Amino acid sequence: MRMKIVGALMLALLAGCATPPPPAPGSAASKVVSMGDTKNIEVGAMRVARENGFLTVKAQLTNTSSRNRMMYYRFAWLGNDGFPVADEESWKSMTLYGSQSTVLPAIAPVPRATDFRIEINTP
Amino acid sequence: MLSTRLCSIAAIALLVTGCANNSPSLGSKNISYGDTKAVETVTNEFGSTDLQMIAESMTRSLAQSGTLQGRPVVQVYDVKNKTSEYIDTREITNSIKTQLMKTGTARFASDDNQMQNQVDQLKLQNQSGLYKKTTVAKTGNMVAAKYRLEGSISSIVKRSSDYKDVFYKFSLQLIDVESGLAEWMDEKEIRKTTER
Repeated sequence: MRMKIVGALMLALLAGCATPPPPAPGSAASKVVSMGDTKNIEVGAMRVARENGFLTVKAQLTNTSSRNRMMYYRFAWLGNDGFPVADEESWKSMTLYGSQSTVLPAIAPVPRATDFRIEINTP
Repeated sequence: MLSTRLCSIAAIALLVTGCANNSPSLGSKNISYGDTKAVETVTNEFGSTDLQMIAESMTRSLAQSGTLQGRPVVQVYDVKNKTSEYIDTREITNSIKTQLMKTGTARFASDDNQMQNQVDQLKLQNQSGLYKKTTVAKTGNMVAAKYRLEGSISSIVKRSSDYKDVFYKFSLQLIDVESGLAEWMDEKEIRKTTER
């Protein structure tokens, strides 16, 4: 009985130490590249469409803190082979008010872009 | 004796190469190259990030709007600077033109500031008698623009003992030359505040 309890405890400990599984390919989480600890900023649902030949993205951002948070972001646009199809974008800053949820819009720079990543950084 | 000498030369050569600086840089450590895409907030005057944001946002909005069907010819005019500070607006124009060209949605006629060079070159080729006739660019074949692209940047600056607030507004419009109708227009607003 004692062995079983110890075993269960060990399993619980191991599970606690395990790293979370990587996000599923194609999911919204797989499109987000957090550079460091992005405190209190959550990226939610994303809407991806092709309008007039250009990939357009709308990503929902939420500030989970009650204080205003500043963040930096930029999009990386990728082709079918998973490599960038355009020059690196400039970083942009954005302020999210306390508990604010907003939508971040973006348009691909070239029609060749078929995929994207959002790079996020908080100061 | 010879082998001892050779050994010592080899050892010295090894020592010298071992001590050599293999870093591909030269000069003071106080100077470094930075990220050209970083958010620049050195002062709240018009800066590199503002230029990049304006060009990026305007180009993408125009390219994706669907107005530029069939790669029309566009003539770009210099952005009018209505702010109180000096801004090299030609660089905004150039960035927008470069990025639009990369999208492949438009072709560009000679800008108003390049027109003189274009005319001079045509005159030189056709009137100087210096060039082989088969290689001379003929006059009367320049492609006229279907649209003209015009923009302006203005600012509102407010100061108090604690704050300096600068609000920039950049407007860009695409006008059909024949009809004079504005076919597309967009704005980009930027606010920069300095707390003293």
